[in-house]
Amino acid sequence: MDLATFPWLTTVTLLPLAACVAIPFLPDDNGKTVRWYSLAVGLIDFVLIVAAFYLNYDFSQPGLQLVESYTWVPQLDLKWSLGVDGLSMPLVLLTGFITTLATLAAWPVTLKPKFFYFLLLAMYTGQIGVFACQDMLLFFLFWELELIPVYLLLSIWGGKKRLYAATKFILYTAGGSLFILVAALAMAFYGDTITFDMTALAEKVYPLRMQLLLYGAFLIAYAVKLPIIPLHTWLPDAHGEATAPVHMLLAGILLKMGGYALIRMNLGMLPEAHTYFAPVLVILGCVNIVYAALTSFAQRSLKRKIAYSSISHMGFVLIGIASFTNLGLSGAVLQMVSHGLIGASLFFLVGATYDRTHTLILDEMGGIGKKMPKIFAMFTTCSLASLALPGMSGFVAELMVFVGFATSDAYSFTFRLIAVICMAIGVILTPIYLLSMLREIFYGPENKELLEHQELVDAEPREVFIIACLLVPIIGFGFYPKMLTQIYDATTQKLTDRLSQVFVAEAELTQGSAPIAALPVLRAPSVSQ
Amino acid sequence: MNSVDTLDTLYQYAWLVPVLPLLGAVVVGTGLISYGEATSKLRQPAAIFIVSLIGAAMVFSFAIFWSQVQGHPPYTAMFEWVSAGDFHIQMGYTIDHLAALMLVVVTTVAFLVMIYTDGYMAHDPGYVRFYAYLSLFSSSMLGLVISPNLLQVYVFWELVGMCSYLLIGFWYDRKPAADACQKAFVTNRVGDFGLLLGILALFWATGSFDFEIMGERLTDLVNTGSLSASMAAVFAILVFLGPVAKSAQFPLHVWLPDAMEGPTPISALIHAATMVAAGVFLVARMYPVFEHIPTVMTVIAYTGAFTAFMGATIAITQNDIKKGLAFSTMSQLGYMVMAMGVGAYSAGLFHLMTHAYFKAMLFLGSGSVIHGMESVVGHDPALAQDMRLMGGLRKYMPVTAYTFLIGTLAICGIPPFAGFWSKDEILGSTFAVSPLLWAVGWVTAGITAFYMFRMYLSTFEGTFRGNDDGIRRDLKRAQLQRMGMSLGPGAMNPQELTLDAVQDDHDDHGHSHAHEPHESPLAMIFPLMALAVPSVLIGLVGTPFANYFEAFIHPPGEVEAVLETAEAFDWSEFALMAGSSVAIATAGIILSFLMYSTKVIDAGAIAQTIKPLYNLSLNKWYIDDIYEVVFVQGSRKLAKQVLDIDIRIVDGLVNLAGLVTLVTGEGLKYLENGRAQFYALIVFGAVLGLVLLSGVT
Repeated sequence: MDLATFPWLTTVTLLPLAACVAIPFLPDDNGKTVRWYSLAVGLIDFVLIVAAFYLNYDFSQPGLQLVESYTWVPQLDLKWSLGVDGLSMPLVLLTGFITTLATLAAWPVTLKPKFFYFLLLAMYTGQIGVFACQDMLLFFLFWELELIPVYLLLSIWGGKKRLYAATKFILYTAGGSLFILVAALAMAFYGDTITFDMTALAEKVYPLRMQLLLYGAFLIAYAVKLPIIPLHTWLPDAHGEATAPVHMLLAGILLKMGGYALIRMNLGMLPEAHTYFAPVLVILGCVNIVYAALTSFAQRSLKRKIAYSSISHMGFVLIGIASFTNLGLSGAVLQMVSHGLIGASLFFLVGATYDRTHTLILDEMGGIGKKMPKIFAMFTTCSLASLALPGMSGFVAELMVFVGFATSDAYSFTFRLIAVICMAIGVILTPIYLLSMLREIFYGPENKELLEHQELVDAEPREVFIIACLLVPIIGFGFYPKMLTQIYDATTQKLTDRLSQVFVAEAELTQGSAPIAALPVLRAPSVSQ
Repeated sequence: MNSVDTLDTLYQYAWLVPVLPLLGAVVVGTGLISYGEATSKLRQPAAIFIVSLIGAAMVFSFAIFWSQVQGHPPYTAMFEWVSAGDFHIQMGYTIDHLAALMLVVVTTVAFLVMIYTDGYMAHDPGYVRFYAYLSLFSSSMLGLVISPNLLQVYVFWELVGMCSYLLIGFWYDRKPAADACQKAFVTNRVGDFGLLLGILALFWATGSFDFEIMGERLTDLVNTGSLSASMAAVFAILVFLGPVAKSAQFPLHVWLPDAMEGPTPISALIHAATMVAAGVFLVARMYPVFEHIPTVMTVIAYTGAFTAFMGATIAITQNDIKKGLAFSTMSQLGYMVMAMGVGAYSAGLFHLMTHAYFKAMLFLGSGSVIHGMESVVGHDPALAQDMRLMGGLRKYMPVTAYTFLIGTLAICGIPPFAGFWSKDEILGSTFAVSPLLWAVGWVTAGITAFYMFRMYLSTFEGTFRGNDDGIRRDLKRAQLQRMGMSLGPGAMNPQELTLDAVQDDHDDHGHSHAHEPHESPLAMIFPLMALAVPSVLIGLVGTPFANYFEAFIHPPGEVEAVLETAEAFDWSEFALMAGSSVAIATAGIILSFLMYSTKVIDAGAIAQTIKPLYNLSLNKWYIDDIYEVVFVQGSRKLAKQVLDIDIRIVDGLVNLAGLVTLVTGEGLKYLENGRAQFYALIVFGAVLGLVLLSGVT
């Protein structure tokens, strides 16, 4: 087998889908075989992903690597084309990692286990496909492919209001993806050549008006996914009803698709429009951070609290994307990976707590720290990671966004000042709601009522193992972020270089009527030196 | 190998100082999380492991300190931490005079506190966990003091805050502890909000996180006019907000008294000797930036002076021995900050060092007292820490009493104890800059002497009141009333509960508790005795006539001929300054004796005559109450409103849209059948169809 020409990406993308075909034929013993089988598939696929990147990926190359392209429909120039660059490679890794752990987290699932694992593996393929594909139409197919398992996972294994939540989820996201389809078709058919190839699409020159329309369409679709306020209300419902493993996937990977696509398409393919829309992204990001943090504080349901905290954290991704600096963009990517890990761990712990207390209402909890010291310790650690404690990945990501945005030359001083203050207010609000949450669950005298009804047992080794796996990279990236940033640095550098060229050109072009982003710029003294 | 090589090896491995305790914390922490019960049983081995690691770090620190005293040049090692394109952030460590001094102070206090912990926490089920936290804290604090740039300071700044959070909430089943740890973290985050903005602003302006470079470039920018002086002042004040929170300066001091809910060893280590002094340390590190901006120096000086005065006035009326010491800490930190603000750089740091030793000893002493009291009144902080139940303890706990007395004399500024030299130097330098600030500091010194002796006298002298049921009943009632008030009126009837509770207490105490307190075990009194030595003697390194301390620690960039100042030392001026501060301290002590020892003056009667002032002090100037209404309830209300908007308007519109669809009948089918996936399937199918169709044509 030739390692260099082996179709790595196709293999890792399709392996889980191929493997789930065999699930119906496995012996039915209450899901015991099928869960080992799924875990093995997940693990093998993850190992293959790591091997593929280890053998063939070169950090110093900014462009696509491990490219595979097979013609599917020649008349349409539709290709099965996969490839990764610095942007998608960490997210593919994250997908493999989180999905494998989610499979392990799904151990206690007893309702229709075969179908459950079938969907989990199908989702695996959909998620990797979204990050790895380099063809617009293929992207759309994967995007939709991954919706169906999520819908079913929500509507069959969810909580009491699962049907409502699942319907809301599917209407929102499918509605959003219509915009992707329309925009993709418009881009494909524009100009002389009809193509769905992303690289070719990025090279096409679109008139500004069309760019703005396309940008708007993509933004709506990805705003649903990320989510951006006010298109976020599906998320608390979906997260409020999902079971722990689905939760981990929703928070760990699905939200990242929105951020990834924003960078790949809005920023990468429509840079001119980006210079106009960027201030809007910053404002939306600030709203996300502060508004969601406040809502999270007022929430009385544990899952919804964490769900809103995810929304709040995604605000930093938006601001990083809009920062016009490599540092900010790197911060945004790091924040996606970091939140993928932290969000997954928090949601897993929420599930573990719920398994014991059988309630999500904070008022009914309290004082359970004594009975569950390990869960208490892990919950505290992950909450501290989520509130961006230094030494953990969230801090580095937020810091990079802060510094990147604060030193960006694209915005006026006042605009930056206000935005940075909003972000910093988020930094105060995050510990308020997270620590209040910890206090209400674990601290205080033992809750007699709860103890009477539920037997509170501490974490089992499987649960400690899952959290330990998630904490290793969280702390690792926190201590030495270069480990991760060097993977994508070349790619983000290339993207920002192109963006700043466009920005300068655009600023010159519209000197008479300045675009919003080019408001009178107060240059940072450090840069002018 | 010659001596230069060995020295460089010493510096190359200096990173071990914070890493050794980290190792201890990680090993024990991992053990706790994976084999909780087994590790919890390994009490002594875990403690010995962690104490020997901090001991090794201490020896290392002394070696570094000695080599710095010998005149080894400062040493800095850096590595690249983050890079994005041509942007780099470096991390590393730096060893200079200030860092070496702080290393020694932190490791010695941490080492002694850890020995003390063995006695104090002997019966606590969380013994091992406590050691792991202590070790983690020591590691973060040591990392903080060797940080080479502002960003790394911020990193460790947050980490020590986290350790403080974990340790204040160590007894997490106590509600006050749960509230206090959150309050501490959030209040500190408010300060860090300013610090973060300040760091960003300074980086934006100067393009560096390095203290010296920031100072230089900022001065240049202001001088050339590219940055207005007021802007530079705002940046610097934002940075100063960090120390305001960490060093418990007004208006962000509210967390420190509540932090006393944590076990006493950490009150000594974190909330008296080391972490709270980190604010003063940061001001010292930021000196190259601050000293060129007069506005900031003024703000710093007045903040410090006001805090010193306020803390002292509140300390007068406290009955909880630890709360009293906490307000005293706040007041002493105010002195240090004021010293920094008036430009008395080395005096401020000198007081930091002396205060670290004598205040750690006072806190450990109070812990010893509480330990002794618990054998009489039981494990109830409301009773065991209240000075109204103490008295006459010198008879039962002589070592604790005499070391506490040494600490009291040191903090009052009685020569030749350590506090005299450092406080006198601060007051002397302040007088040269601003007589008003000096007056505040001088009055505060008198109040300090008064409340410290009030504390000493009511704890150790007189007769033991611990078995007085009347006082116990009163205290219990007051505590329940406080709790009842915090739950809101009508939540419970305090009177009923009081009776029950006291009844319970009676049964409890009649059987299981001794009638006399006892002296603490050796593990606890050894650190007290060890700390008594520097509390008495360490001031002698900084006497005005031979100031070795100032020769070693002086503002960066200021190669002052210290010896000359020593030669120009003016005896008459020293006599005047020292005389006036000793005089007011003595006055405070005498007044205290009259009120609490001989009872010539009735303290209660005075409190009655100046009722409003008394209440102001007792209620901590009502600042907690104001914050509770404005910030705590305000933010809750705001959050509730935002959530309402989210549910009713944002989500309401969505559901309304759904309803409209339902009513028009289009959506009815699939919603009722619950098969909305058809929708997705249709989209999916349409695309596939499109693909195939275009493939055919």
